[in-house]
Amino acid sequence: MSKTNSKEIIINGFWSNNNIFVQLLGMCPTLGVSTSVENGIGMGLATTAVLLGSNVVIAMVRKLIPNDVRIPAFIIIIASFVTIIDLTMNAFVHDLHKVLGIFIPLIVVNCVILGRAEAFASKHSIWDSILDAISTGLGFTLALVLLGGVRELLGSGQLLGHDVFGASFQPALGFILPPGAFIALGFILVAFKWIDQKSQAKSQA
Amino acid sequence: MPHFLKMGVILMIVGLIGSTFLAVVDNVTRAPIAESKRQELLNALSQVLPKGFDNAPEKDLILLADKRINRQEKPVEFYRARKAGANMAAAFKVTAPDGYSGNIDILMGVASGGAIVGIQIVSHAETPGLGDKVVKTDWPKAFAGKTLKNAKWGVKKDGGEFDQFAGATITPRAVVGAVKRGLEYFVENEDKIFKTPTAEAVK
Repeated sequence: MSKTNSKEIIINGFWSNNNIFVQLLGMCPTLGVSTSVENGIGMGLATTAVLLGSNVVIAMVRKLIPNDVRIPAFIIIIASFVTIIDLTMNAFVHDLHKVLGIFIPLIVVNCVILGRAEAFASKHSIWDSILDAISTGLGFTLALVLLGGVRELLGSGQLLGHDVFGASFQPALGFILPPGAFIALGFILVAFKWIDQKSQAKSQA
Repeated sequence: MPHFLKMGVILMIVGLIGSTFLAVVDNVTRAPIAESKRQELLNALSQVLPKGFDNAPEKDLILLADKRINRQEKPVEFYRARKAGANMAAAFKVTAPDGYSGNIDILMGVASGGAIVGIQIVSHAETPGLGDKVVKTDWPKAFAGKTLKNAKWGVKKDGGEFDQFAGATITPRAVVGAVKRGLEYFVENEDKIFKTPTAEAVK
């Protein structure tokens, strides 16, 4: 077990090992629901909540679960949290739940979550796992919001449902459609790498 | 204890704990979920029913099935609005099977006599920015007051009077067709729709 300090965990999860921008994990919900900023925030926070719950519980029971059955046990834990979030959202934020629809139950198969359980929570303390869950979750949310923002802005000329450009703006419909998700994500990845390289060059200089 | 049995027992315990939590959460959220669904229904009904009814249409419902309402002949709810006991209007959900992508569910309200009060598209998977203009614009308002006789049922491209959108004819055509079939069913069966008592109609 490696000793990592809290600051490193947070930076790793949120930025330098960002699940979307660096590891390119969890592409299905990323591309699927990022048609608007609102969807991005909703999906990002729901995933963060599941991640937080599963990371904490898995870190708690990591010494009790034998290695042979750890994956099915993790999946039961994750699926339970997803169902809890699904029911809670259905009860209290019904409209958002309707918009996100099938993507909420599909959080179970988001490889980000099982990935963090397997790679982090099963080997670290509860406190570290909480930090990891929050930073990874917020990194995921950041990616969804950025992508949702670009697509909503270009694809429907709005941000958070408000018109930005005025009536004469002709939105580029393609960005709302599935291909737009790939194109927008590609450009965001370029921008991310560029910023990352710049900051690395700076810290080395 | 053999190894595989021990592993099985551990998994069983994990599953038991997980399902206990789920049972608790389900218990807590069941009422709020039902309430949200009811609000949603009330909201939709108020969009398609005329104002001024004095009963509770969400409770005054019967189930009827017909090929013209949806192709599978699945029973759908008919919510009936009445004023001082007189039949006012009924709201029911028709399904257009011929949209551009998947089914389009439309809640339509028809006044006694056969004039449409309003329609609301409750679920669809049409192309954002093209077909979904039937939801995002005032387009559904064109149906208000239409009867089988006073309107030319069809989109303009087909010689009817309802607008289509540039680049999206299929969606409006599907909606117009489904609403027309629903209206035909209503006109033919108006007596049955209003007179069947709530309890025995559920077949």
